[in-house]
Amino acid sequence: MTKIQERPTNVLVVGVGGQGVILVSKVLAQLCLSKGLQVKQSEIHGMAKRGGTVFSHIRFGPQVWSPTIPAGEVDVLVALEWAEGLRWLEYLNPDCGTFISDTQHIVPPFACRNRQRGSEDTYARETPAEIIKKVPNGFALDAAGMAQELGNERTSNTILLGILSTTLDFEIKDWEETLDLFVPPKTVELNRQAFHIGRQWIENAIRTSEVAPVSELYEQKFFPEEKGLVEWEFIPEWCKGCDICVKMCPERCLKLTPDQKVEILDINDCTGCRICEWLCPDFAINIRKPVFIS
Amino acid sequence: MSNNLSKEFNIRDYLREDLMPHFLCPGCGHGIALRALLQAVHELEISKDQLAIVSGIGCSGRVGAYIDANTFHVTHGRPLAFATGLALARPDLEVVVITGDGDSLAIGGNHLIHACRRNLKMTCMMLNNEVYGMTGGQASPTTSQTRYTTTSPKGSIEPVFDACKLAEAAGAGFVGREVTLQMPSLKNLLKKCLQYDGFSFLEVISDCTEIFGRKNQLGTSPEMILNQKSSMRPDSYGNIVDEPFRPNFMKTGVLALNERPEYSATYRQHVARQLKSKEKK
Amino acid sequence: MSIKYQNLQGNHACALGAIAAGCRFFAGYPITPSSEIAERMSLELPKHEGVFIQMEDEIASMGAILGASMGGVKAMTATSGPGFSLKQENIGYAAGAEIPCVIANVMRGGPSTGMPTRPAQSDLMQARWGSHGGHPLIVITPGSVREIFDETVRAFQLSEKIRTPVIVLYDEVLGHLVETLPLSGAAHKITERKWADESPETFMPYAETTDLIPPMPRPGDGYRTHTTGLTHAEDGFPTQNPETVVKAMKRMLDKFELHQSEIESYETVCCEDAEVLVMTVGISARAAKHAVKTARQEGIKAGLFRPITLWPFPEKAFKKIISKVKTVVVPEMNTGQLSLEMERLCPKKTKIKSINRIDGEAIAPKEILSLLQSVAKK
Repeated sequence: MTKIQERPTNVLVVGVGGQGVILVSKVLAQLCLSKGLQVKQSEIHGMAKRGGTVFSHIRFGPQVWSPTIPAGEVDVLVALEWAEGLRWLEYLNPDCGTFISDTQHIVPPFACRNRQRGSEDTYARETPAEIIKKVPNGFALDAAGMAQELGNERTSNTILLGILSTTLDFEIKDWEETLDLFVPPKTVELNRQAFHIGRQWIENAIRTSEVAPVSELYEQKFFPEEKGLVEWEFIPEWCKGCDICVKMCPERCLKLTPDQKVEILDINDCTGCRICEWLCPDFAINIRKPVFIS
Repeated sequence: MSNNLSKEFNIRDYLREDLMPHFLCPGCGHGIALRALLQAVHELEISKDQLAIVSGIGCSGRVGAYIDANTFHVTHGRPLAFATGLALARPDLEVVVITGDGDSLAIGGNHLIHACRRNLKMTCMMLNNEVYGMTGGQASPTTSQTRYTTTSPKGSIEPVFDACKLAEAAGAGFVGREVTLQMPSLKNLLKKCLQYDGFSFLEVISDCTEIFGRKNQLGTSPEMILNQKSSMRPDSYGNIVDEPFRPNFMKTGVLALNERPEYSATYRQHVARQLKSKEKK
Repeated sequence: MSIKYQNLQGNHACALGAIAAGCRFFAGYPITPSSEIAERMSLELPKHEGVFIQMEDEIASMGAILGASMGGVKAMTATSGPGFSLKQENIGYAAGAEIPCVIANVMRGGPSTGMPTRPAQSDLMQARWGSHGGHPLIVITPGSVREIFDETVRAFQLSEKIRTPVIVLYDEVLGHLVETLPLSGAAHKITERKWADESPETFMPYAETTDLIPPMPRPGDGYRTHTTGLTHAEDGFPTQNPETVVKAMKRMLDKFELHQSEIESYETVCCEDAEVLVMTVGISARAAKHAVKTARQEGIKAGLFRPITLWPFPEKAFKKIISKVKTVVVPEMNTGQLSLEMERLCPKKTKIKSINRIDGEAIAPKEILSLLQSVAKK
């Protein structure tokens, strides 16, 4: 547990638009405020469309000056989406930081289309288990799946809030009451349940092993074991050479041949994001063994 | 066809492959909309035998023929009328209407508003490409003002229809809009439409690249589809952006949800009640 | 069992005939003078687990019955002149895609809105040629309330068997005429459509069968076929190949030829030795029948030929009779539509005399009789 001390406590909540990043940070900020602590909460949102990136810095303590957290000083990093979590890992305190992440994977289909050819892959190919070994304290869980089981996929952020609550020095009752203030009245009970599911999960996780179990689904479907696993099936007779896939491919690995048919330059560059398949008006592209799940 | 979720989606399972490649122009958004529909059908495990596609005339109307299902390609503007008869007579079928902006807002406008009012279970997917493409690019009820078409050679001066507002005002149970660029969201919306017990109306913003795009110098197919991004505004998650500041933005997502009784079920209950009271007498 | 008699209006007889024939779907739109058909159907269909729906317009109601029929349910609609004009588009579709359906048209005065509450017989040609692009269909013109009932039943039988739209055409007088007739215990043969039962893999929805009527695939039975108003090949998909088009069109037209004996229906009165023949349909034929009988009493060799199936015209039967006839009298409540057909069918020597009324009044037997008398005098 991170004791509230002289130095401000830094919590960073990240995710993608629509997941409830702001709700998590609002609850925390309000709770700190009610305990008489000084709070600074700064966030980027509003520009984010569904699927766009959202983050929220929360700093609290007896005295807080800077509104944002310097890199390497985040005490608790809460990620509502796996890739977002990884993007912010360098902000985590390398000595005592805690990383809490949903293994849910939301690919913003068009967010990465301007990447240069040959640049690094967008998504790390390490498994959650590998990532968690690299951080001082790490927990990865399929909160979205758990929320779905609970009956409302939107409560995944509350599950993560439950886990966050175990890392900070506030009482459960205070957490619950603050949470009630921010969720829609009809879902108060549901969110309380989700909150406790999160707390239970982490208790079990701590008891059983250092590293939280990762769902099989995640291991199988999210990442190919190595590059080249994607099969890019192409039906040349159906292709009309509209160029959409070529221009949309984030990896820039497609090309239009002189006879106006698409060809793949290097299958090893393909991450199987499926954008070309989805946007092909002529159904000429089929991706096998995908790495994407929404 | 049941239990096909375990199988990965392959669009070829849902196409009449011997008719492919389809007749649509390169870059036409209708193809993307068709993929979204078929993927939604796959994910909901709707049997192809129970799927009835009714489509009208125009580019949108011809799209239905490529689906390996019970397909009916009917007269201009009338698919909703045909579908009403089909859905009422055969409540066991999953009826999907594929129509276009001219088909459903101009010649078939009356059928659209009354289908919305009646709230009979079916899905109406309107492919809006702002133009009559099949006949060579004439102005349609959704052609934006100042746009050039073969019947508005100096730029269109007519105001446009907001099909979703129309459908909502007419009482459609479910109203949504999505752009083809957002294929996954489009598919998810279509799933919601197909699951909705009542009349669901979905406007798909599609591109006519070869005719409308060329005439108005809107760029290449990839440019046109990317431009959809700058004019859309997802609305499913509430007020992300305050509207007054972005008045020209087109809302996408679920735009209206009116929980109203479904017509076919209401009719059958009504009849049952009538018969019962007659027996008592 | 004693026969029960009842007073029945022509329009109600049409509705009851449809129910007896197995019609389980009706879509309509209010229009004088055919609204009673819709009204009666809205009462009767629920009793028979059928569906009644009042659509937003005439076009939609025609579309809806075709939708229901494609779904496998016997369906009909009813209308009058202006509505009939609007329905033509989808009647053409039904003819082209070979979808069974029955349309009742209760004729009223025209053109345009015309005289809604007044009778006419001015849609005789429109019923045949109303929709664009030469298409075959069947038009039945009953002449009494009892016949409206029976012919509506037959309309369904023909429609389902031959896969064609059938139009039941009568005028406002018959529509609103109440007659006493026995209906109880009337058992009618319900014709079941020929459904596809072969393997879906090899099934061709418009294949050229020996009877030239392809079996119809029912949605949900696994055939997953395509139905279109575009000219289609045997597989149901659009084609513009001249040979395929001719073959498909020829089969569609030939099926009427092949089944002509079933389609054909007419009534003759004293035609064996007739020198002057009255040829007309519907309410005018009732007046004509009376006139012919009176004329016979006066020693005039008069006869009546009344097509019950007006289109396709019973040509063979008519030509047999016409050889001995010197004059044909054509009374009709229009400016001369049947007389055009007579000009086509009669030998050159045959004189054709018309009686036309366009004032919204039915033709009286007296008018026909006086013409018969004047013809006989010459």
